[in-house]
Amino acid sequence: METLPAGSVITIFSSLVVGIIFGFVLQRGRFCMNTCFRDVMWIQEVSLFRAYLLALAITMIGANLLEDMGLIFGFDEESGELVATELSRQTFAPVANILGGYLFGLGIVLAGGCGSGILFRIGEGVFAAIVAVFGFFIGISATMHGWLKPVYEFLRGIKLEINGKVNPSLWDIFGGSQEIKWIIICIICAVFIIYVLKGKPFGKAPGKGFYWSTVGVLTGIVAILAWWASGYFGGDPRGLSFTGPTKEFFLSLLTGNSMSPRAQFDFFGVFTSTWSAFYVAGVPIGAYISAKLLKEFKWKVPPINDLLTSLFGGFIMGIGAAIGGGCNVGHGLTGASTGAISSFVATIFIILGNWTMVYFKFIKPMKDI
Amino acid sequence: MALKDQKPTEVLDVLGRVCPYPQVLTKKSLEKLPSGAILKIVTDSVASAEDAIPKLAQKYGYEYEVVKLEDKGQWEVYIQKK
Repeated sequence: METLPAGSVITIFSSLVVGIIFGFVLQRGRFCMNTCFRDVMWIQEVSLFRAYLLALAITMIGANLLEDMGLIFGFDEESGELVATELSRQTFAPVANILGGYLFGLGIVLAGGCGSGILFRIGEGVFAAIVAVFGFFIGISATMHGWLKPVYEFLRGIKLEINGKVNPSLWDIFGGSQEIKWIIICIICAVFIIYVLKGKPFGKAPGKGFYWSTVGVLTGIVAILAWWASGYFGGDPRGLSFTGPTKEFFLSLLTGNSMSPRAQFDFFGVFTSTWSAFYVAGVPIGAYISAKLLKEFKWKVPPINDLLTSLFGGFIMGIGAAIGGGCNVGHGLTGASTGAISSFVATIFIILGNWTMVYFKFIKPMKDI
Repeated sequence: MALKDQKPTEVLDVLGRVCPYPQVLTKKSLEKLPSGAILKIVTDSVASAEDAIPKLAQKYGYEYEVVKLEDKGQWEVYIQKK
């Protein structure tokens, strides 16, 4: 086994802080991307969807600026030094991105929350969210390491290169130069911002939470922070994502080895883990702090049927996220901010999967009454 | 008179149920109620009380009030159907 760099308290602490800030923002903003996608279809309400597009536009500009400024870091394998590198863009595996994304989208409706949603709801005392996170972990691990591994490897093996790149971004379709990159970023962000401005972005939320535009801006800032911190402290510019890190957190906790293909550290000779694994624990803590301050924390236990649905939903989410290569944050925010085609494709199918399940679970039953 | 001081036509108790069920069941109840009726929803789901249910009411243009019972960690939401 190759020697790993030693992880320190600072490695753990820096990741936890990112998670705590994100959890706080999500709870304060009542920002659940499952709700954000669902309400578009269910009650034609788009303010959270606008928040999402605002966050994506900000992350896209911020992350690519950091990349161009040489502030995205990664460990150089030969020297072991931290060097400036590129944002991690995912391999374009079209069949896996489509099927996995769609399955994940179906799952989040059943689980009652997305990759980040189920984590921050734990901090509000939602017991069903804990159950959903377990389902999510089991689904991811079964797919990446267990019984479903052959399916996973087969689907991930179908790749599509564009312009000679296995991980093409939107601008690689048009040659991939710096100018083209920024022209495309500007066009996408302009479209998003025009849509955001149509939704009265300067207002006040009805309760004590953040207004949707505040949530969008803060989420974008946290995502940019994570892009920088994951490289600077974690040696691997992955940005904010939840699929891999959730699995890595639990596997390192349970087996001492996070089994990650990404940059790993050896922690005190006891376990190996990635930097990202720790913010998974930070998100519920941050949400708890926010909920406690607003006097909103209380343990809530739903009926057994809801719990089983959450468990199953989490499991489906895990399979989908593993095959698709990420969740609504990993693909929908972080991945999409890099312009990766894989992330745009997966995100579109996550939304379609969400809408499909919303139709069959909520809309159709109401029509049948 | 404030909605919370009037006798509700129907009470929907969704304590323990997680988002999105409170919102879904609210929508279902509202559709069955006659116009002018007041629906009282009792929930402990933060997202439903603070975000999802108010949005539903706003969407339909129904008058609503959210009362937070901090000591109990739950909310009462009152909606009057137009």
